[in-house]
Amino acid sequence: MSATSHGAACGVVLGIVIVIFLQQIAYLDLSDLVPAIEYLLIGGIVGGLLGAGIGYALGRSYLARHDVAQATAPPKNADGP
Amino acid sequence: MRFILRRRAGGVLTSRLVLGLTMVALLLTIPSFTSASAPASGASLPHALGTTYTVTWNTVDVSTASSTSSALSVDFTQSATVWFNWSGTSSVTIANAQLQMFYFGFAVTTRTVTETNPTASASGHIPLTWTPLSIAYVLAGLYKITASFIAPNGTTMFSENFYLRATALYGFVAAIPIVLLIIAIYEVYALVRSGRYAMLGRKPATPPPSTPPPKTPESAPPTESAPTEGETPSATPPAEETPPASGGSS
Repeated sequence: MSATSHGAACGVVLGIVIVIFLQQIAYLDLSDLVPAIEYLLIGGIVGGLLGAGIGYALGRSYLARHDVAQATAPPKNADGP
Repeated sequence: MRFILRRRAGGVLTSRLVLGLTMVALLLTIPSFTSASAPASGASLPHALGTTYTVTWNTVDVSTASSTSSALSVDFTQSATVWFNWSGTSSVTIANAQLQMFYFGFAVTTRTVTETNPTASASGHIPLTWTPLSIAYVLAGLYKITASFIAPNGTTMFSENFYLRATALYGFVAAIPIVLLIIAIYEVYALVRSGRYAMLGRKPATPPPSTPPPKTPESAPPTESAPTEGETPSATPPAEETPPASGGSS
C-alpha cells in the first residue's frame, strides 16, 4: 500500500467524518436522505483527493529525507558478470 | 505468476469499482416515497378550509424555526411541552398529535399522543410532553422535526416542519461527536504517518551484510587457536580450574 493510497483512504474517512461532525455542531442539515448522501459523497471524494495529494507529498518528502532507494536497490555483486 | 496476480488484482479492483458505483446509483435513485420522510407543510393537505393550525414548543411558535438558521436551541435532557392547537370556523376531528425527528430521511424517534374520545370541534388543543432523555446522551446537532395533526382515519390534516438544534449535556458530552472526534484525530495521525507507507509498496530492504565482530587482542577467534594434536581441550569451565580461595580465619 503506497503513501498515496493510504492518504486517499484516510482522506475519504476524514471527509465523511467531517460532514457528520458539521451536522453535529449544527452547521449542516442531514435530515433528508438524498442531500445527506450527496454531502457524504462530496465529502468523501474531496477528502480522498486531498488525502491522496497529502499522502503523495508526504511520501515524496519521506523518500527524499531517507535513503530508501539505496536501501531497497538489489544488491550489487561486485564479482558478477 | 506475477502476471496472474496482477490480473487478479485488476479484476478485484474492477469488481469493487462496479460494486461501489452500483451502490451509489441505487442510493441516489431511491424514490422519495420509500423514505420515511413526512409530507411537507400542509399546503396541499386536505385540511378543512378556514382552520388555523399552530404548534408551540415551550410557548415558542415552531413556525419561527422553519429553516436551519433559525432552529430552536433545546436541551434534550430537559422536558419539552408541545402544544398542538387548531381553531377555525368549521369543525375538525383530530385523533392524534405526532412528533417525528428525522435523520438521513428516516424517523429516529416518534412521539404520539392519542385522544381517547376524538370529537369534532372548531378549536382545540392537544398537549404533548416529551423528555428525550434516552437520546440526549447520544445525539446532538441539527435535526428536522415534523409535527402532525392526524385524523381518526389516519389522514394527516396538517403537518409542519421545523428545526431543532439539540445541545448535549454540559455542552459537549454526546457520544457521537466524541466518537467522530476520535476517528478524526486518528485519521489525521494516520495521514501524517502515511509517508512511511511508501516503504511498504516497495521491495523489502535487504539486510546489510553481516560484519564480523571487532577483534580484540584478548579474545582471539577460536579458529585461530586450534588445538594441537594430543592436546585435549578442557571441558571444565575455568572457574573450576581455579583453586578455592585459601585461608580463612580459624
